[in-house]
Amino acid sequence: MTVALEVRNLRAGYAGREILKGVSFQVDADDFFAIIGPSGAGKSTLIRCVNRLVEPTGGQVLFHGVDLLQLDQARLREARRNIGMIFQEFNLIERLSVMDNVLTGRLGYTGTLRSLMRMFTAEDIRQALALLDRVGLGEYVDKRADRLSGGQRQRVGIARALIQNPRMLLVDEPTSSLDPKISREVMGLIREIAREFHIPVLCNIHDVELATEFCTHVIGLQDGVKKFEGRPAELNAQALHEIYAMEVL
Amino acid sequence: MNGPAVDVRAAAIAAGRRRGRALRSLTYLAIFGAVLWSIQVIMIADTDWARLAASSAGKTLASFLEFDYRLLPELVDPTIDTALMATLATLAGLLLAIPVAWLGAANISPLGRASYVVGRFLMTVSRSVHEIVWGLIFVSAVGLGALAGILAMGVRSVGFISKIIAEAIEDVQPGPIEAMRAVGGNRFQVLWYGILPQIVPVVLGTMIFEWDINIRRSTIMGLVGAGGLGLVLFRQMAMLNYGGVATVILAVLCLIILGEIVSYYARKAVI
Repeated sequence: MTVALEVRNLRAGYAGREILKGVSFQVDADDFFAIIGPSGAGKSTLIRCVNRLVEPTGGQVLFHGVDLLQLDQARLREARRNIGMIFQEFNLIERLSVMDNVLTGRLGYTGTLRSLMRMFTAEDIRQALALLDRVGLGEYVDKRADRLSGGQRQRVGIARALIQNPRMLLVDEPTSSLDPKISREVMGLIREIAREFHIPVLCNIHDVELATEFCTHVIGLQDGVKKFEGRPAELNAQALHEIYAMEVL
Repeated sequence: MNGPAVDVRAAAIAAGRRRGRALRSLTYLAIFGAVLWSIQVIMIADTDWARLAASSAGKTLASFLEFDYRLLPELVDPTIDTALMATLATLAGLLLAIPVAWLGAANISPLGRASYVVGRFLMTVSRSVHEIVWGLIFVSAVGLGALAGILAMGVRSVGFISKIIAEAIEDVQPGPIEAMRAVGGNRFQVLWYGILPQIVPVVLGTMIFEWDINIRRSTIMGLVGAGGLGLVLFRQMAMLNYGGVATVILAVLCLIILGEIVSYYARKAVI
């Protein structure tokens, strides 16, 4: 199995506080890889270190063999095009239409002048339409993003990530702003799409039940340290106790 | 914490609150005293009461109310001039305000602290110099006329517009910015898609407000020969034709009401 992402001894922190204390793992090309752990464990920082929205202080992030931490700004932007990201709060541009929001996923491929005028290519628009149909929002193309429900917004977020033609998806707590039923739908959609487009997923999720249901591989993070690694089936009470350090279980 | 300990703490808190109350009362008293003193020194001692009693004041006020309607046809062109000058000045102000706001917004200022200070300084300079003074400066640069007036009002507008925009930029939601960085957007694209849509309503509202102010400003730009209603106003004043002055003021009022109506629909369309 080919390795899509290999993280080695990753460290991050600021103002003298260490948030990640040397985390290592590797994501295979067909993995749905979950990072679980209590809030404050560093899950969000870890996922943002992969595409350097947060600058790590040490270690290596090898994406298809290339260390992303060594890239200059221009090459980093090129690398980011290949990594789609889905956010907890969706991070849509509220006042733009659903179509425009999806098209922003093409910014990395679009020149500055063209993006100034929102001139995306006909091919981009065709692809955006196809993806919106795929996530079930074909009817909502012209709606403004702030008119949609939470579940619909997250679907726009998914389409925006996919239009990048990514070789990996980073997913940051995709369901924390959604109710349980919609959460399950969104997770299901992400899994289906990942299989369809053959892209691995690296997903932060605090909901252990969802993680075991949808993911193929799990690591548990606690206070910036990896405490568990294995398949969801191996996540027993003792492992959870290790990760969450719960007094009552 | 049990019985006696609670009592001790409660007593301490009550004492603290008493002290706070006393201090507040003293502060209010001092402010009140200062106001009274100002009224005495500035108004009571400094006013020519005899003249007020002889009272030409009532008569003067009354003469303002006799509107001079013969002036109306002559006001059409100057009203249009004034509206155009205010519009151009506001647009010029916005154009100049954008780079200043960019410098003066702490979260995106290109060179960090250094450029932030420069931006904030430019805002203060623009606001702390009166439009008449700006007008005199531009008259010496480009000569008497509408251009000097427009430049003066434009530069004077920068301070307010850029300050509001900079603060709007500092208040934007970080989420969309993060998303635009994550898709591989460059610096400009992150600004254009991550920040701009979020501040458009504020920018538009500020522009309309500043336009409204610039209409009034343009009435005193007559002093630098900027033409428009300001020139007519000063002429009527020089002729001691108070009814004419009142009519010009009426025209300004109409223009501003018109602006209010336009702004209502413009805001609705954009927000």
